[in-house]
Amino acid sequence: MAKLDKKDIRKCYRNWITFSLGCQNMERMMAPAFVRMFGLVVDKLYDDEEEKKRCLQRHTQFFNTEEAMGAIIPGVILGMEEKRAEGEDIPDELIQSTKTALMGPFAGIGDSLIGGTFRPILCSIAMGLAAGGNLAGPLFYCVLWLGVMIPLTWILFSRGYKLGINATDMVFAGGRKDAITRGANLIGLMVVGAITAQYVTANTGWAYVSGDMTISLQGILDSILPCLLPLLLTLLAWYLLDKKSMKIGKVFLIFIVIAVVASLTGLLVI
Amino acid sequence: MTIFQAILIALLGYLGSIYGTFLFGTVGGWNMIGRPIVAGAVIGLILGDVKNGIIIGAAIQALYVGLVTPGMSVPGDVNFASYIGIPLALVSGASAEYAVAISVPLSLLGVAAIYSVATFNAVFVHQQEKWIAEGKLKQAARIPIYSNISEFVVRFIPIFAACYFGAEFVPNLIALIPESLADIFQVLGGILPAVGFGLLIKYTLKENRQLLYLLVGFLMIAVLNMPIIAVTIMALFIAFIDYQITSGRVGE
Repeated sequence: MAKLDKKDIRKCYRNWITFSLGCQNMERMMAPAFVRMFGLVVDKLYDDEEEKKRCLQRHTQFFNTEEAMGAIIPGVILGMEEKRAEGEDIPDELIQSTKTALMGPFAGIGDSLIGGTFRPILCSIAMGLAAGGNLAGPLFYCVLWLGVMIPLTWILFSRGYKLGINATDMVFAGGRKDAITRGANLIGLMVVGAITAQYVTANTGWAYVSGDMTISLQGILDSILPCLLPLLLTLLAWYLLDKKSMKIGKVFLIFIVIAVVASLTGLLVI
Repeated sequence: MTIFQAILIALLGYLGSIYGTFLFGTVGGWNMIGRPIVAGAVIGLILGDVKNGIIIGAAIQALYVGLVTPGMSVPGDVNFASYIGIPLALVSGASAEYAVAISVPLSLLGVAAIYSVATFNAVFVHQQEKWIAEGKLKQAARIPIYSNISEFVVRFIPIFAACYFGAEFVPNLIALIPESLADIFQVLGGILPAVGFGLLIKYTLKENRQLLYLLVGFLMIAVLNMPIIAVTIMALFIAFIDYQITSGRVGE
């Protein structure tokens, strides 16, 4: 018995598209939009207040993708969460790892297909039509953009939702839950490692100068391992959060202090 | 320019900015009225000169036609370039070339705005978590609405001021941010994702030695510069091998 009806799915879709970047932030990126989406349907999914809380808490984790092509991901996760609420024993980490594993590829596909191909092509045609100040240019852009993007994002989201439900059935029917959870976890870890190198930026400006000779610390670090500082900073954050059980707010403050001190001393430069 | 026209332009500038949500997210905002060519028509309509608005908009559009904003690496921001550059050029009767010229420093100012908002918005994330923990789920779900206030302040005020007080205000606007503060924000913006990833690792990692998988993923981009899709396929392959080994299929 499905807990969500067609209206709920449409509501989730509208809110995803509207608010995906509404609270974009450096720490968790699009996570607040995920929380919003589930906040709208959590009363239908669970009766128990603690379960409701846990559902939203699951989605406070880092999430970032290209919001249009990536609309398939909140769809898939909505399907999985609905199945979980219906009593399937889906582990939290399977939901988390599915998000982590999907966000990278769809960011890549979306950025190159929408931002890198479709939008520039439309803009170029519109610029041609706009010669001499002709209104046809901007109108052409708006009509085609909306005419493609609204159906496309809805199809991705609603198909994703069905996929989430079917995939869940498939995983559980075969009794492969543990193996698939482990696999999803490993993929998640590798993807997190990869995007650490992609998103975290830290370069040192320190150098040893003696006469004409300049030895830059960054050069030495790069020859040991490229992106070493971003890796160490990420591991530091993990260590403080996991091993030292620090609250996120405290770690956040520590990183602000690091940024201020390192920026003023030139230890970290842009 | 009348105060009413300036308010209208500033409001549309906010709606068409990257984190302004209320025109169906980026579909109607950032990617539609946020595009210089569309902005040119809209601003032209407000100021009563659609034709020149479109001409100037198209000229700025040409500069940014290939601009993609993957992840948080933002090379330029067309929002200020459009919503400050086009109205100023229109009212002063300046050429499209003038608008293109001032759009470059304006787009850099726009990048500073993006980073400041995205860094500041972490405050909203923590508020959201606090509300969830307290069981105030309805409020927590409204955070992406409330957080619009930071984008509104950073977009509406400068655009309004520049449109209303005129061209001489723009250099002051750019000088408004002290360099050291801008540096700190950029450094902070660079290292802050580490906190989000640290938290993600905490919830994904089952035992410390699994950090090796994290390291392998890291090397695929840091050293091999692989595209993220290739990384995911490799990760899928490695997870498949792990599955074969742990389920004892290899010997069969």
